Amino acid sequence: MTKHLKIIDYAITSLLRRRYKSFAILAAYSLTVTTLASVLFLTHALRTETDYIMQGVPDLIVQRTIAGRHELIPVDYAEKIGAIPGVSGIRPRYWGYYYDGLTEANYTLLGSGGEPAPLQMLTGRLPVNPGESAVGAGVAALRGSAVSGELILVNSRNIGVLFQVTGLFRSESNLLTNDLVVLTDRDIVDFFGFPPGEATDFAVSIPQSSEIQTIAAKIKQLYPDTRPITKRELTRTYDMVFGWRSGMMLTVFCAAIIAFCIMAWDKATGLSADEKLEIGILKAIGWDTADVLALKFWEGLIISLTAFLSGMILAYVHVFFFNGFVLAAVIKGWSVLFPTFRLTPAFNLFYVLIMGFFTVVPYVASTVIPTWRAAITDPDSVMRG
Amino acid sequence: MALIEVEKVSKVHNPGLADEMKALDGVSLSIERGDVAVLTGPSGSGKTSLISLIGCMARPTEGKIRVDGKDVVKLPERFLTDIRRRRFGFIFQQFHLIRELTVLENVLLPLYPLETSFRTMKDTALAILHKLRIDGKKSLKIKNLSGGEQQRVAIARALVNEPQIIVADEPTAHLDSRLAQEFMDILKLCNQEGKTIIIATHDPFIQTNPLVSKTIAMRDGRLESMKKK
Ligand SMILES: Nc1ncnc2c1ncn2[C@@H]1O[C@H](COP(=O)(O)OP(=O)(O)O)[C@@H](O)[C@H]1O
Ligand SMILES: [Mg+2]
Repeated sequence: MTKHLKIIDYAITSLLRRRYKSFAILAAYSLTVTTLASVLFLTHALRTETDYIMQGVPDLIVQRTIAGRHELIPVDYAEKIGAIPGVSGIRPRYWGYYYDGLTEANYTLLGSGGEPAPLQMLTGRLPVNPGESAVGAGVAALRGSAVSGELILVNSRNIGVLFQVTGLFRSESNLLTNDLVVLTDRDIVDFFGFPPGEATDFAVSIPQSSEIQTIAAKIKQLYPDTRPITKRELTRTYDMVFGWRSGMMLTVFCAAIIAFCIMAWDKATGLSADEKLEIGILKAIGWDTADVLALKFWEGLIISLTAFLSGMILAYVHVFFFNGFVLAAVIKGWSVLFPTFRLTPAFNLFYVLIMGFFTVVPYVASTVIPTWRAAITDPDSVMRG
Repeated sequence: MALIEVEKVSKVHNPGLADEMKALDGVSLSIERGDVAVLTGPSGSGKTSLISLIGCMARPTEGKIRVDGKDVVKLPERFLTDIRRRRFGFIFQQFHLIRELTVLENVLLPLYPLETSFRTMKDTALAILHKLRIDGKKSLKIKNLSGGEQQRVAIARALVNEPQIIVADEPTAHLDSRLAQEFMDILKLCNQEGKTIIIATHDPFIQTNPLVSKTIAMRDGRLESMKKK
């Protein structure tokens, strides 16, 4: 035990003795880990955001299209659709977009009869009575609603309407609720001036996921002017928007680069004559082969573990405090679509362990293995020049 | 029984390769406890090869070597290390100190692989440095020392694990006559404490020193003569 502590102590001394080389390796290595971990954190965070969204998405959405454009759908379509075998429920959804000229931002206005999922992330309560509202963190920040408890929006007849803020969305999923304003269904209809008896679309519940495709086809047959969108199709769209697949590709690419750099570095440097001599001296004065290898092991572990941890911390800060601004340019899409939204920290221990494994193990191996040959040879070589 | 017995030892360097070299050929000799033995002979006669074998830093191609009655030729590597560590202190021609480490750190090095605590290690090392009157420079790096000071650090490192046997290869090659005398004075002290000393050298100053109790002359890898005083 004491012996190992002493060897660790000597390993640290040795690293400090070669401080420029050690520092160069550490810096290059941390940077690579930062890049790699940023990609992982970013894609994972986006993936998690997507999952949040998908939780709230109904099995099937039925829209009405006219001339290829999304139109309001008559509420009485619901009766026949709801009667199709396999459909367990159907409800009309009232929502739309609102451009706020004052803050130059787009909000999503949603009727409270709508999404069940985001409602779990609410402080306060959803609107129940006319004139009440629940708003997302982004909207609240832009309009100071958290403080005033009020929100004024201009309706389709160009009249300002005052809403009381009864709930604020927490930021567990910013992407989902950031630009959200929830009103009662009645207020939405009135605000946008929907014709009576029409909704934005239908949310259809289908417990048996294998039936979704057939039911979608039946709806299309029943009402040719509708467009049923399955959850699967939506997921695919989100995936493409976030480009997380390309992110994974990038990850693999980075991993390959890391491996390559380590190998190249190792080939380029190998063991210097000085290092070989030092190993010989240590052996001659009573260090065992195992002691020398332990020394190199600790040197490698200290460097790679430090690089790994600092790389991870840098990546975490980069992604979750600075929204991955460096990588955002690479993984396009989300930053363009959602310029103001802030990523929620999401952490996958498995990824982190994998990363740790792939950074620490090869490096330690690449420091110990070249030493091996020098360490097992007889130390009498130090007796000559 | 002699402390070191070498029996018909041969050493071939790089066997089977183009630069194969028979450095030792059937050498037999013995060194008693308390001896100050000097190996002489022209350059290339096999002195270094022989003391490497005696110091358990390499194995002979043929023959037997016994240290304190124990045959070391066939011992597994870690036992050889153990013998090196417990019985031998080496002083190399080029000193082979680690230049970027301090005096104290260099002297501590042989003690790292032992289970002694840092405190004990340090006390031992400081005592030796004091004895060799170099403790005033303990925090200096080797590269900032003079040749004579480096020599003393090298000796301190050889002595720190309290070896029975001190092995030195051309120890005065880089020293002027005053420092060479100083070196012999230190060895004398060690010898008075009962340590056995083996020196490979072609320096007549050492060869004729009154401390020497046995002279072993080498030529072309063979033993030419062995004289006891
Ligand atoms: N590792 C080695 N490989 C090849 N030849 C060696 C090696 N070590 C020593 N020799 C050769 O063996 C002979 C004896 O060398 P050495 O033992 O160093 O003699 P000395 O110390 O008396 O000068 C020399 O010819 C030398 O070149
Ligand atoms: Mg020699």
